[in-house]
Amino acid sequence: MKIKLIILSLIFGFTVSSCHELELEPKGILGEPELFGTAFGVQKYFVQSYMNLPIEDFIYYANKGYMPGNNNSWQAYKNSLASMSGEIYGWNVNIFEAGVGYWPYDDIRIINIFINNFPNYKSKYDDATYNSLMGEARFLRAFFYQGMAKRYGGVPIITEVQDPVTTSAEDLQIPRASEYDTWKFIYEDLKFAMENMSAKSTAGRANKYVAAALMSRSMLYAGRIAKYTQYLGFESESAMQGGFVGIDPSKANEFFQYAYDAGLCIENGPYALYVKNYPDKATNFANLFLDKTSAETIFSKGYDGLIFGHCYDALMSPNPDFSSFVGAEGGPVLQHMQLYDFPALTDEQGKPVRFAKRSDIKNEMEPRLLGTCYFDGDELRGKKFDIQRGIYVEFEGTAADAQSGSNAASINSTANRKLGKKGDKYNGVLITGNHGMFENKGGENNAFMGAFIRKYIDVNLPTEMVRVNKSTTSWIVFRLGEIYLNTAEAAYELGKRSEAFDYVEAIRERAGCKIIRPDIDQATSSNYGYPIEASLQFIRDERGRELYCENHYWWDLKTWRITDQVLNNRYLRALACYYIFDEGKYIYLDEVNRDNRTKTAPKRSAYERIPQGEINKNPKLLPQNPLY
Amino acid sequence: MKNILHLLTVVLLLSFYGCQKIDNWEEPGARIYGNIIDKYTGTNLLMDQNDWQIRIIDRTWEQNNPGAVAQFQSLAVMRDGVYNNSKLFPGTYDMLPYDGPFWPVDTVKGVILEKKTQQDFMVTPYLQLSNFKATLNGTNLTLECNVKAPVVSSLPNIYEVKGFLSLTTFCGNSNYINIAEYNNLRKSINKPWADEVGATDNKNYSLGPFPVKSGYTYYVRMGANVNALSRRYNYTEILKVVVP
Repeated sequence: MKIKLIILSLIFGFTVSSCHELELEPKGILGEPELFGTAFGVQKYFVQSYMNLPIEDFIYYANKGYMPGNNNSWQAYKNSLASMSGEIYGWNVNIFEAGVGYWPYDDIRIINIFINNFPNYKSKYDDATYNSLMGEARFLRAFFYQGMAKRYGGVPIITEVQDPVTTSAEDLQIPRASEYDTWKFIYEDLKFAMENMSAKSTAGRANKYVAAALMSRSMLYAGRIAKYTQYLGFESESAMQGGFVGIDPSKANEFFQYAYDAGLCIENGPYALYVKNYPDKATNFANLFLDKTSAETIFSKGYDGLIFGHCYDALMSPNPDFSSFVGAEGGPVLQHMQLYDFPALTDEQGKPVRFAKRSDIKNEMEPRLLGTCYFDGDELRGKKFDIQRGIYVEFEGTAADAQSGSNAASINSTANRKLGKKGDKYNGVLITGNHGMFENKGGENNAFMGAFIRKYIDVNLPTEMVRVNKSTTSWIVFRLGEIYLNTAEAAYELGKRSEAFDYVEAIRERAGCKIIRPDIDQATSSNYGYPIEASLQFIRDERGRELYCENHYWWDLKTWRITDQVLNNRYLRALACYYIFDEGKYIYLDEVNRDNRTKTAPKRSAYERIPQGEINKNPKLLPQNPLY
Repeated sequence: MKNILHLLTVVLLLSFYGCQKIDNWEEPGARIYGNIIDKYTGTNLLMDQNDWQIRIIDRTWEQNNPGAVAQFQSLAVMRDGVYNNSKLFPGTYDMLPYDGPFWPVDTVKGVILEKKTQQDFMVTPYLQLSNFKATLNGTNLTLECNVKAPVVSSLPNIYEVKGFLSLTTFCGNSNYINIAEYNNLRKSINKPWADEVGATDNKNYSLGPFPVKSGYTYYVRMGANVNALSRRYNYTEILKVVVP
């Protein structure tokens, strides 16, 4: 009995004492003092934001959006922005103009917590470090806002951390700001960042020049939006009337000036156009995207292939010779290849030019194009590309007789035009190349377009390593080449025509173009239904050449307000090589892609749809964007 | 045995109870219908089926639910310019023909939907297409029509004139033979009216020849659009062409 009593009192004693001090701070969790109190803590805190930055890179899905981290499956580049906007052709990615519901206010909240609370820890830092970290936060916030502004126009501007418990629903619902105010807000954040951040940072982390680069791009977008939205015909739309989309044209020069100034700021930094591999300008241009020490890179997003990798190599070259995975999900479209210095495919009479060798077509090509695409005869991973569409027994007439490859053309009768599978022969001669273009076969190992993409292809990766999430190429978010073209366009819009062409000249010199500095031509060009000067058109096309397949094209078309003009029943065309049997020579024909596929973007693609789920939560987001 | 019987009865009763009808809303039984009428000709506007919609907003629902913001529903318009919807809740609605091939119109406010309500809309089309002719020469089809702009002042750029061929009676931008041979025959313009047509308000267009196949019956029409909103087409009527 006594023992029982002792045991009971012991148990009682333990239980009561274990109730003691339950409110201890947990020791395993990093709280605000640990994270905001030291520069390393802040770095750790920012990692989540860097991870989620709206960067359209190797793992961006045109139809699903940003899928950061390693759980993005492998199909990202199959569903790439380049495929959607018709820069490359392969897997059919429809125009996803309504968008993917990108609404990163959770990410913005994380930054706002920092901006609001970091001043409490000011005493722990020297001024320079404190200002630099604060600037970095403003840069990150601007990045998220520009990711929304380029999609939706005006969005709610939230700079305070909202408390859902103590705030009424009415006050939590913030209405949209005007598009002008939204871009101005981005400008203010970036201006602060440029003035306060340090000039140096480790790779993958921002510094003042990275902030300036974002400024250059964003303000160029804003300037274009201000100047060209008037041509969309949205005047009767309530979103336009309220200023939620579109900016008054008189504000255009303000934004162009910001972009121009940001460009000048970057020129003071430690950057230079990449010329390490001169005199081979083609290889030099290709290596610019592979060299992680390139002086041209301002900001890049890294992949190590262990924790984070991507599948670009596995998805952009044909299996099994160059890829150990499914193979090429897209090839370059002829309209884009012909933007560069490109050989004539027909002579004065309209007959196809005869080439002694297939690879002779490369003789007249611009080195930059050779650095951007792989053509027949190019070498990669120890093997050579081998691309041929078919054989003509004879070809007497003009290229037009082939009617863009239509079976209905008499010259394309099965007796005269031989198409086939891999390895098929006609009178002992192989009909197709090893890597296409095969008849009636899927696209992944079949050069649908007559060429493959070279840009960003890692030549040092052995074929057996070209697998899912094994690619380690960094995505270059900002590089000096883009900044030059941003500055050139902004300068031209500001009337500094000759200065604009100084930048174009630098780019074209590096590219190895035939005409390095074209004369300024102020004649009106109206490809797009609104008049611009021919030389401005040239600068825009220069972006198409220099920045091809870097996921700029869609945003450029959008902000120039011409998605619906350029992508209007646009037939993506292929470069088709044929052997002429009775002559023993080769010709190249301009053919419609074999699926007869066209690209059409509706006019509403100038903006994305404000996500309906957000409107349900916050009706103050109305009016909806035009035509949704 | 008796217990099981009781149990089954209870289950049976419960399951019948599940069928009981409790619906706090009346069946949506209001019908709205009407025509989209060309203000100048007085006839119905020809269009593609469900090419654009009439937006309606239920204001009664907003009144009954303070603080709520009603969003629009879309009513489809048929290709003969008629619309008809018989499954709506009665109440007061605002109605707006939206994004069609006509000059923007004002929202018609306070339309009361009852058992049967007719609401016609008078619109000014951007373009009127008339005198449509389809001429067959062997297996080559040529299409002609006259394009007229009722209002030229501040008309957006005339964008294109296009021929639509279809093998079914449904013919228009949503259903046509979409091949490069035909599409390349469209006339892309994208110029101000004055630059394209001049001082007059109409111009004849001829498209073709469209290579057609003998033994087939085609349904054809022409469409023209201006660079406004979604660039919907104004159409001619549909002609039937039998290729011998």
